[in-house]
Amino acid sequence: MNRRSTMRLVTLTAATGLAVAALTGCTAGGGGEGEAGDTTITWWHNGTGDPLKSFWEEVASEFESENPGVKVEVEAFQNEDLQRTLIPNALQAGGDAAPDLFMVWAEGEIKAQVEAGYLEDLSGLTGVIESVGTAGTGWNVDGKQYGIPFRYGIEGIWYDADLFEQAGVTENPATFTEFGDVIDKLAASGVSPIGVGAADGWPAAHWWYQFAIKTCSPESLQTAAETLAFDDPCFTEAGENLKTWMDEFDGDLPFQANPTSTPAQSVPNSSAGLLASQTTAMELMGTWHRGEVAKLVPGAPAENPPAPEWLSWMPVPDIEGAEGAPGAALGSGDAWGVYADAPEETLELLEYIMSVDVQTRLAETGEIPTVAGAEAGITDPVLQQIAEATQSAGVVVTWLDTQYGPVIGKAMNDAIVNLMFGDGTPASVPEAMNAAAATL
Amino acid sequence: MTATTAITVAPGKARPSRRAGQRFDWGQPVVYLVALAVAAIAVGPVLYVFISGFRTNPDFFTDPAGMPNPWTTDNYARVLGDPTFWRQVLASTVTALGTTIGVMLLGVMAAFVIARYEFKGRGLLYALFTTGLLFPLTISILPLTVLLRQLDLFGTWWGLIIPQVAFALPTTIIILVPFLRAIPGELEEAALIDGASRIGFFWRIVLPLSMPGLMTVGVLAFVGSWNAYLLPLFVLQAGGAASEDYTLPLGVQFYSTAYGQDTTGVLAYTALAMLPAILFFTLAEKRIVGGLQGAVKG
Amino acid sequence: MTALDTAGPAVTAGPAPTRSTKRSARRRARTWGEIALLAGPAVLVYLFFVLLPVLLAAYYSFFNWNGLGPLDQFIGFDNYTRLLADPVFHRSVFNNFFIVVMSLLIQGPLAILIALLMNRRLRFRGLLRALIFVPYVLSEVTAGLAWQILLQSVPPTRWGPVDTLLRTLGIEDPPSWLADPDVVMWTMFGILTWKYLGLAIILMLAGLASVPDELHEAAALDGAGWWQTQWHITVPLLGPTIRIWAFLSIIGALQLFDMIWIVTGGGPLNASSTMAVYMVGNGLNVSQIGFGSAVAVVLFLISLIVALVYQRFALRRDLAGALTGGVR
Repeated sequence: MNRRSTMRLVTLTAATGLAVAALTGCTAGGGGEGEAGDTTITWWHNGTGDPLKSFWEEVASEFESENPGVKVEVEAFQNEDLQRTLIPNALQAGGDAAPDLFMVWAEGEIKAQVEAGYLEDLSGLTGVIESVGTAGTGWNVDGKQYGIPFRYGIEGIWYDADLFEQAGVTENPATFTEFGDVIDKLAASGVSPIGVGAADGWPAAHWWYQFAIKTCSPESLQTAAETLAFDDPCFTEAGENLKTWMDEFDGDLPFQANPTSTPAQSVPNSSAGLLASQTTAMELMGTWHRGEVAKLVPGAPAENPPAPEWLSWMPVPDIEGAEGAPGAALGSGDAWGVYADAPEETLELLEYIMSVDVQTRLAETGEIPTVAGAEAGITDPVLQQIAEATQSAGVVVTWLDTQYGPVIGKAMNDAIVNLMFGDGTPASVPEAMNAAAATL
Repeated sequence: MTATTAITVAPGKARPSRRAGQRFDWGQPVVYLVALAVAAIAVGPVLYVFISGFRTNPDFFTDPAGMPNPWTTDNYARVLGDPTFWRQVLASTVTALGTTIGVMLLGVMAAFVIARYEFKGRGLLYALFTTGLLFPLTISILPLTVLLRQLDLFGTWWGLIIPQVAFALPTTIIILVPFLRAIPGELEEAALIDGASRIGFFWRIVLPLSMPGLMTVGVLAFVGSWNAYLLPLFVLQAGGAASEDYTLPLGVQFYSTAYGQDTTGVLAYTALAMLPAILFFTLAEKRIVGGLQGAVKG
Repeated sequence: MTALDTAGPAVTAGPAPTRSTKRSARRRARTWGEIALLAGPAVLVYLFFVLLPVLLAAYYSFFNWNGLGPLDQFIGFDNYTRLLADPVFHRSVFNNFFIVVMSLLIQGPLAILIALLMNRRLRFRGLLRALIFVPYVLSEVTAGLAWQILLQSVPPTRWGPVDTLLRTLGIEDPPSWLADPDVVMWTMFGILTWKYLGLAIILMLAGLASVPDELHEAAALDGAGWWQTQWHITVPLLGPTIRIWAFLSIIGALQLFDMIWIVTGGGPLNASSTMAVYMVGNGLNVSQIGFGSAVAVVLFLISLIVALVYQRFALRRDLAGALTGGVR
């Protein structure tokens, strides 16, 4: 049943006092056969704000008008809710409750859904798969493609060019030693050098991931991801290196005060908000950060806030003498997956979404597309820079928590926060990971 | 503590005190002071939320502890003009009413049986319900979601109402049973002599007479449902309901995540979500307190 | 249950001394029919949505289950051994009991003291009571969000409202309310006291209303001071009310979830985690339904034991076995 018409019914009957009767059939979400078209495709994504929200709705209505009889219902949900609760529950419920097209995360995250048989094998869409190239490998499980990434990029350090200038930083650091000097200069100029939203766990954990991919060889990382055994000493060394680096600085530095009660996004006192209000000078984050910072700039308009001019980006500096692959970077993206029992038109919709035209327009909204040829749509110089860095990265390692799946991911992130800001030891991180792996 | 010393001295030796308030009581100003302090601490944060809703964000961040400068009604106007907010008020109202009606109806029928029928297993039935006091939602929330999923109630208002009714039954029955017991047996005999059936007696005499008790359980169920967070979180949000179908507590939280950059807007939304509870539930204070006492004491 | 002990009208479903056994059988069947009709719906809803989930939780707790695939990985007590060995869970249990004990030690006496002071004819008494009651009627979500905004601070430049106020009062370096693992549970206790003290005061006032004035007068005639009178006469008579409040408070503190989840999410570094927060964070949110169910079962057992012990030693007189004995 169409939700809007159901709700109108609810409003109407409730108003006449038949509150209880009004509840019948008020199934939210839902999909399957609609009463208007012959086929209804339900499409769930995480673009709760504009420009993405309107963009996907636009794409959906374009597809509808080209395919009479097909109705596309687009719903946007908050990212973590979508992945952690909504999609698992809807897939378990199956049938009409399950969305037909939805966002899937890579590697460890997609595996459970594949094993339970919820995802359609997309290997037949050879054209699309070729067009996204190596970005697609994270959604390849046992040689079959279950997800098509539509945006993809590596993380780096977002920084405030104004504050850098004020502090007298003229050149971006290439190594961690130089990075340390930058941090000292920034601190001396009176700003908190780096913001981190450790209350959410993962933003802090990404610092450890960076040390891990620079300390561990690509082979060790590969083996660990396959066996889920984290016995290689490099995992402890990564923590030691991180801790040594942090200990070079005084007090709360290099991070802002109260990291463990600072969330990552959405509120003014989040790490994104601190960067936006020019309270902190740098933050390690993925490509989405441009939009997160933009909306938190004091006085930013509610609709389509522009990214501040001072917001710049640089790759994470190298650690001298580290064993990791040169040019290794952390990154990932978001992909579309298709429900196993989805109507066949869903594949056509997916192909349309992944067409060069739609991908180019997606790039224009401020995303980094995956389809070759669509990068022409990137107008923002910072995003162009990230796209190029992604292309030229020696190896792109998927976020470690995504690789290892939610259970190990949570244990790992908790242990890292405890290492960085609590009483954890470098060895306690791989220990926690191994313990979590044992419960799978 | 000065308060106690002052009071100890005053009524003690001087004159045998009769009732507080009959003569000048030195304790009185101290008591007012204490009561006012407690009231100020209780209401202060709430007032802060309401007043800060009248501020602009730049003003708020310049001096978070200050008064609005300038005052603006924009935030409140925006929330009140937002159809989602009203839909959430509707969701809260419908689910709370549904829960209340369900609990009153099922509760009074079951309590009637426990109170006025002699049958084997009556004690067991009563014990069954009272044990429910120890089964709070937190414990069964995970399997409950699995169950609701299988019943196709996940993400729906029914999926919220029915478990809420079930979880409110123990309190309801414990409060209602003594009420129904207290109805004199003569009334029942008279009704039966007049040719009424037991059911007729229930409808025509028991229900009207138990109205005060029913009101109490009704208020408790309504408050519980209106303020509920855990169950809506799992049934509505995890069930994939759209944010317009959320109840207010869930809606407030959603709003604070989705529009978190707008702190004073969030405060205005929070203030407006607080308002119905403050207006109605403080008026029902005596019933709530009486009900809670009854729930434990019987 | 005093009300039930004084027997009501005895309409029995058992064998009644009637002339015709046929007729009595019919009447008995009819009585059972009525019982089923009246109590049936409540019993069904209750069994299905309250008891069944609890049993299912117990069942799931023996499996390794992510909630997606089939329930086929039986692992015995592994979830329990893992749970009982986890220091974060120990911390969570400790935090629950921290709130239990602190509530009993601080909220209770404070509420009694304020109620004793307010137990007199006061102008605006109704208004004062209503104001004191306000925090209790708010949902935990709205109250929690408000406190989160009030307390969140990022020194040295982004002070929150409470800290700004403290700094104007001369307290330059206020504690990190939500960021310091050693402080956060005290902060949460403060918020919970703010939320629930009003209810305690109103409950105590209601209890005091049933203490007859004559007792005070008699004591006063004997030359007892106000404070002595309160301590020796009023407070003991308040016993049942105190025990009821304590029961509500203990059960509430053991189940504590909403406020913590909203304000800290169990952080920083799991320092404010409670059993229920642990269950959601380590069970549902990482799709370990089996493990989460084991947490639920342990949480239930702890609540049950505490309730039974409490009933045995404190509530016996008031409850008269309502929780275990049923109707006698």
